[in-house]
Amino acid sequence: MRHDIVLSSRVRLARNYEDVPFDVSQRPEFAAICVARTVGALKAAGQDKGFQLYRLREMPAASRQAMAESRLISRDLLNNAESAAAMVRAEDAMTVMIGEDDHLRIQAIRPELDLLSAATACFRIDDALSRQVSFAFDEQLGYLTACPTNTGTGMRASLLMHLPLLTKGKQMGNVGQLVSKVGLNIRGVYGEGADALGNIYQISNQVTLGRTEQELIATVTALGNQLCDMESALRDKARNEGRIPLEDMILRSWGILTHARLMPLNEFYQHWSNLRLGAAMGLLKTPLALVDALLDRVQEAHLCVWAEESLSGQAMDEARAACIRELLAMS
Amino acid sequence: MSEHENAPVLCEECGVNEACYTISVMMNGQVTQRRLCADCMAKMNMNLAAGNVKHLLSAIMSAITGGVEAAAAAAVAPEDDVVCERCGTTLSQFTKSGKLGCPTCYTAFREQLTPMLQQIHGRTQHAGRKPLDTEAAQRRRAAWERLSRQLEQAVAVEDFESAAQLRDQLRRLQTEGGED
Ligand SMILES: [Zn+2]
Ligand SMILES: [Zn+2]
Repeated sequence: MRHDIVLSSRVRLARNYEDVPFDVSQRPEFAAICVARTVGALKAAGQDKGFQLYRLREMPAASRQAMAESRLISRDLLNNAESAAAMVRAEDAMTVMIGEDDHLRIQAIRPELDLLSAATACFRIDDALSRQVSFAFDEQLGYLTACPTNTGTGMRASLLMHLPLLTKGKQMGNVGQLVSKVGLNIRGVYGEGADALGNIYQISNQVTLGRTEQELIATVTALGNQLCDMESALRDKARNEGRIPLEDMILRSWGILTHARLMPLNEFYQHWSNLRLGAAMGLLKTPLALVDALLDRVQEAHLCVWAEESLSGQAMDEARAACIRELLAMS
Repeated sequence: MSEHENAPVLCEECGVNEACYTISVMMNGQVTQRRLCADCMAKMNMNLAAGNVKHLLSAIMSAITGGVEAAAAAAVAPEDDVVCERCGTTLSQFTKSGKLGCPTCYTAFREQLTPMLQQIHGRTQHAGRKPLDTEAAQRRRAAWERLSRQLEQAVAVEDFESAAQLRDQLRRLQTEGGED
């Protein structure tokens, strides 16, 4: 659904054990309790099938960074690499992070606009765990979390959206107003501060307390659909009124991505955005799944793993260009 | 002895008005103290409503606990500080980091947290999922029901010896449950 504009849907639940302090990053004995208890509970509930346990400190730095680049684990978990762990079920991008800001972050990522299926996957794990262990919960405040911004449902539901024509048409200011009016949050995914490299945005719920999970998901989904409609209208207009300039922009980027010998990351995002627009509008035959996979594959740790050596500077840009050419040649 | 004249501190944001709020802001993991005037504080609150709350959390906290009088003073005065008996986190630590220490902090700081949660979420009553009963709790409840029924029967047939034993078992079950 809406794959032409929505890259993926993610739901994340924050949970804490009742009898352990929230921050275990500096306390290995508590971190060990969290890991052992979570692994044991998943097993006892018969939900451990397909999950693999990763203790971050035992992994090569590039491998664990690659997991963060694929969003299977968060940057915050990476920062706690000494004590943190993750149970990962790679087949459907399901993760239970252990030792982040909260003891557990249960996370599911699904392609396209499908928050409900991501949420259902999280709830299944949450229910299985809560049959075995006691989570910190208060009848009035809901699930208790380290940061009061997550209190209540502890749920963050987010969509990754590609909005090149809304950005080009200088409409992101309006979008921002629309987003905050319904109590949601929008930010760029790549780049610093206000940048949204590749015109990729994440929208997510801002509040977590006092609304049900279903309400929150419905709000994010509704806004996601609304933004899809706005972006689609601009795409239809471009197709009808400015086809040649549009094709020129897309095919130039295709030419550069399939021929360049050096590809800095910032330049990549600009061409990637055009490539994805072309693929989504049927102007290029490249499958969208492949275009989306590129986003992870060109990141630094992924390239180091791919090249089987540590890279930097020009060697990194060279490997990136080679990796892109190889992947696009398959389409 | 070193009585300095307190010169008015200017707002670090606009550099024009007198600063009357001191807020602690988390930036890139570092806690920085910033002094702001009322206008800039209002703008900051606007940003809070629209933007990323997490990094500005402590700003709200200071605004609530500090108020206008808190000019050039720490957000929580030492005599007003509250400590969570269970984990040792203090209200002023929480104000600086934006992070609570343990579930009991929610009880220890409830007075300060409630307006803060109201400001962040607009509501303070949870709606949504709840934890399911653990298997241990389910087993305990089943045992409780079984023993209670047996006790009723024992009393009915005036078997006082069994009744006393059953009462003991129920009492033990209750204390186990309390520790869970
Ligand atoms: Zn000012
Ligand atoms: Zn505490």
